Amino acid sequence: MLVDDEEGFTNLLRMNLEKTGLFEVGVENEADSAVDAIRAFKPDVLLLDVVMPGVDGGDIVAQLRTDPELKNLPIIMLTALISREELSPDAVAESENLIMLSKPVNMEMLLKVIEASLGKKA
Amino acid sequence: MKDDAAHWGEGVCVDPGGLKGHDGYMNREDESAAGATMAERNEDTDNHRVSTTFRDVGMLATVFNNLPVAVFCKDASNDFRIILWNKKNAEITGISAEEALGKTDYDLFIKETADFFRNIDKVVLSNGKLLDVPEEKMDSPNMGKIYLHTIKVPIVDPERGLKLILGICEDITEKKKAQEQLRELGENLSEKEKQLLKLNENLSHANEELKATQLQLIQAEKMESVGRLAAGVAHEVKNPLALLLMGVEYLSDGLDHGDPHVPQVLIEMREAVDRADNIIRGLVDFSSSRQLDLKATELNSFVQNALLLVRHELTRSNIKVVKHLGSDIPKVMIDKAKMEQVLVNLFINAIHAMEGHEGGKLEVRTSAKNLKRGETSHDEGSRSGHQMRSGDRVVTIEILDTGTGIPDDKIEKIFDPFYTSKPTGIGTGLGLTVVKKIVELHNGSLEIQNRQAKGVRATLTFKACDES
Ligand SMILES: Nc1ncnc2c1ncn2[C@@H]1O[C@H](COP(=O)(O)OP(=O)(O)OP(=O)(O)O)[C@@H](O)[C@H]1O
Ligand SMILES: [Mg+2]
Repeated sequence: MLVDDEEGFTNLLRMNLEKTGLFEVGVENEADSAVDAIRAFKPDVLLLDVVMPGVDGGDIVAQLRTDPELKNLPIIMLTALISREELSPDAVAESENLIMLSKPVNMEMLLKVIEASLGKKA
Repeated sequence: MKDDAAHWGEGVCVDPGGLKGHDGYMNREDESAAGATMAERNEDTDNHRVSTTFRDVGMLATVFNNLPVAVFCKDASNDFRIILWNKKNAEITGISAEEALGKTDYDLFIKETADFFRNIDKVVLSNGKLLDVPEEKMDSPNMGKIYLHTIKVPIVDPERGLKLILGICEDITEKKKAQEQLRELGENLSEKEKQLLKLNENLSHANEELKATQLQLIQAEKMESVGRLAAGVAHEVKNPLALLLMGVEYLSDGLDHGDPHVPQVLIEMREAVDRADNIIRGLVDFSSSRQLDLKATELNSFVQNALLLVRHELTRSNIKVVKHLGSDIPKVMIDKAKMEQVLVNLFINAIHAMEGHEGGKLEVRTSAKNLKRGETSHDEGSRSGHQMRSGDRVVTIEILDTGTGIPDDKIEKIFDPFYTSKPTGIGTGLGLTVVKKIVELHNGSLEIQNRQAKGVRATLTFKACDES
């Protein structure tokens, strides 16, 4: 599942992911409703933008981690910032199953990371 | 008569005994004072010798004693004994008439002073005419050093058996002191003036330094604000870049567009995204004081790898590459990713400068040497301090091109953020700004000069690793 406020980006990313024929992709562009949408969709892996208007990506992670069902959901954080330092460190430190990727990211890399995350979960 | 004598006594000045050629010594213990004796004697025997216009010797003595100049008289025929010593003379010299009368200069003064006076006296006598001594120094037992302006007159009267030296003097000690002070003051002043000049020089030097520092500060400030801006912009730019890359990915993946150029276009688009991404990373790096990921790196292979990154650009512009890679080059501590950015930027600049001209040549040299005195880098704008010192082992990468070169009036500007001579879309003007920052983070130096012939020489210098 993709959560990012940039619709163009999520659309293209979904198209790329679907083209592989490996994934069923859900998209949410509103940060406010993201947690609910994730609960409803029950993804195997979440691709999450770190900085969105309204809610910080870190906050979303924190909320998900309190939910027993989503506690172990692998999360790939996509960030337009450069490094971990710039994220709220608590959220990052407390979460395993969390990978940071810096935008722009190419599909090759992204697919590798997704596969790795899913493999971990399995 | 006693009154007269007493009157004499005030400033006893005449020793008639001396005049008579008799021993003329006054009895110091004689409390009746020399004057009294003299007065009596004068009256008795020598009255006629004093000008007859005066009613008596006492009157003459009073006149002498009230003269505003010092007057004395010595009897040359009697060992130059003092026979006249007026009040003013006593004031000036601090030697009273009682002390002076009947004595010679040798009794009163130290030998040098006495010699000096005696010589002059003799000269005056032998010349037989007045002598003006503009300045005499005298060590007075009571007054210390005093200066006199003296006129000496020989009085020779064979008829009366007289052979006298008459002296008239003026105390010029004060004048002299004033002069001295003035001279000292003058010296002082010129010394002060010198100091002032020196100070002034220092000041203008300091001023220049201040100006330079100010420029650096302005430059630094510019950098910092660019940095802050960059961090903000980075975020805004990276999202569209991510989108763009997704689009390129979508189009690249096995779709048949029917146009043979499409794959190449897509590759270039991907490269463009990469480049833009790199620049933004560099910019953000440049703004943040993040730690470098330093690793001891073998320079030659590193340079060759960096060249590979621009091989497309090189072949496209038909540029020949000449490598002079030195042997025995020590390793350097560098952040590979960032230093790669530095080299690629410098290569691309060189390539851009040579584009459109046939026979472009990109020369890359590596070498190692010990830094000589005075060779330490003095990069302005470098606030990190100069970590390289003379004697240090350093490695140098030189990148030489045969391009357009940089106009003299622009060479100062090339490190400025956003300074570019290239059209929008081709140059951002951030290349060298970032390059310089990265080099500074490595405590290295970067110099960019026009070559004598044609083109530009970029010289990178870094301190070599201690081991290896
Ligand atoms: N090798 C060179 N030969 C001639 N001019 C040069 C060379 N290197 C730099 N310059 C001049 O310095 C300017 C600034 O260079 P800089 O790398 O900072 O920006 P840019 O190359 O214009 O843009 P970009 O941000 O894409 O690097 C260039 O526009 C060019 O005028
Ligand atoms: Mg450039």
